[in-house]
Amino acid sequence: MPRDEPLREDLLRARDRRRVRTARTKRHRLQLLWLLVGPGILVMLGENDGPSMVSYATTGATYGIGFFVPFILLTFAMAFVVQEMTVRLGAATHRGHAELIFQRFGPFWGWFAMADLVVGNLLTLVTEFIAIEAGALYFGIPPVASVAVGVLLVTGALTLRRYATWERVLMGLAVFNLLFVPAAILARPSGAALVHAIVTWGPLPGGITAGFITLILANIGATVTPWMLFFQQSAVVDKGLTSADIAEGRADTAVGALVAAVAAIATVAAAAPLHAAHVDVSHFLSGADFATALRPFIGGAGASLFALGMIEAGLVAAMTISASSSYAMAETLARRHSLNLDFVQGRLFYAAAIVSTLFAAAIVLIPGAPLLAMTLAVNVIATLLMAPALVLLLLLVNDREIMGTLANTRGANVAGIAIVAGIALVGAVFGVVTVFPGLLA
Amino acid sequence: MSAAGPRSDPLDALEPDQRSSVAERPLPRRKLGRGITWLLVGLRLYVLVAIPIVVYAFVHALTGG
Repeated sequence: MPRDEPLREDLLRARDRRRVRTARTKRHRLQLLWLLVGPGILVMLGENDGPSMVSYATTGATYGIGFFVPFILLTFAMAFVVQEMTVRLGAATHRGHAELIFQRFGPFWGWFAMADLVVGNLLTLVTEFIAIEAGALYFGIPPVASVAVGVLLVTGALTLRRYATWERVLMGLAVFNLLFVPAAILARPSGAALVHAIVTWGPLPGGITAGFITLILANIGATVTPWMLFFQQSAVVDKGLTSADIAEGRADTAVGALVAAVAAIATVAAAAPLHAAHVDVSHFLSGADFATALRPFIGGAGASLFALGMIEAGLVAAMTISASSSYAMAETLARRHSLNLDFVQGRLFYAAAIVSTLFAAAIVLIPGAPLLAMTLAVNVIATLLMAPALVLLLLLVNDREIMGTLANTRGANVAGIAIVAGIALVGAVFGVVTVFPGLLA
Repeated sequence: MSAAGPRSDPLDALEPDQRSSVAERPLPRRKLGRGITWLLVGLRLYVLVAIPIVVYAFVHALTGG
């Protein structure tokens, strides 16, 4: 339907694009990069969420500094290859991931992708609020207060009704993912051990066991999760990136992967003293348990940094994951979808994020809620149902009708197909092993 | 353009298909070759197997099994 007055969403995006155009014309490269970064950094640091940081801490406490340091670098390199495809998809088509799936492959895959994402995200949001609650408990803050503040921050950021501001607020918060770096420094890791680990992929205490294989599967399976594909592509579209911005979009994703890998490795290093002291972490449930156990080794300040990092991890992930649910739901239902919308035009868009956030927060506060069952279901959904998401991504990025010259080249397809097939296969195996752990015995 | 004369387009910095009025028009359904059709059929079978496993995992964990 033709409109006389431009929409607020278009006006705000056009304003952002004028700044980009000016910076490009004047060859202000750093300013241009600053204007165009965001989705890649947020998606990578968002994936360093509460459960991921607990997983990295468990890795450090179980294996110390060794095999998993270069392995984490490898998984983020794989994540970069996959996420870069979403940058090109968004910049070439100016459409989100969910709407492309729906429009190009029909309602079955459209509804499946959306339902898979929304259910998985809802359960993942619960685990993020568990991380916020556990991190705050370390400081003696009661769950009701920490969860309420978490809800206020997630929903408060949405009230900005401006993508660019929302993105910068999140980037400001996401910087605190690097709190794990000073925590790691306080653990006094050996530089030589870190270099040795990266060069030799060792040591690997205990050898290859069922627990080691499960951890490998979990790490690869969680390298890329469905919400990351949907979030980054939709954010690229909302930000207004075009085919001229692909290089900066790639740089954004690469920087995000690198910073996230540094934070992840720092978490391994921070928890490594528990390995040296033979502390059994198998009964640890949250980041707060690690912070408490680490206090004798990295001091009160280090443990506090660790707990604060856990709160940040849960908070930033809650913000990005709830946004990805909003984008996917509104795109599938052909409703307006942008963080530049006002509340009237974006009723469904904002309601999806707010309702899912309130639901997750309420679940965490219910005494006796089946939180462990939900955490397990998150792992199974994210890994077992990743294969269809990755196959559809590859089909879309090879669709020359919509991608034109930005479609995958032969070389990109070789790397992309190998990585996608690897992640999908390993993810599916991990999903099955999680459900039937006896298979690895 | 107004009666008072030409005025600059406030959306001139956007590519044509970035405008909401264009972006909200659905793309046509992709014509699938035989290979991709079979791939998607296989993927549907995978989903049919995977969903019961997900449900089983959740129910099993819920009942403390």
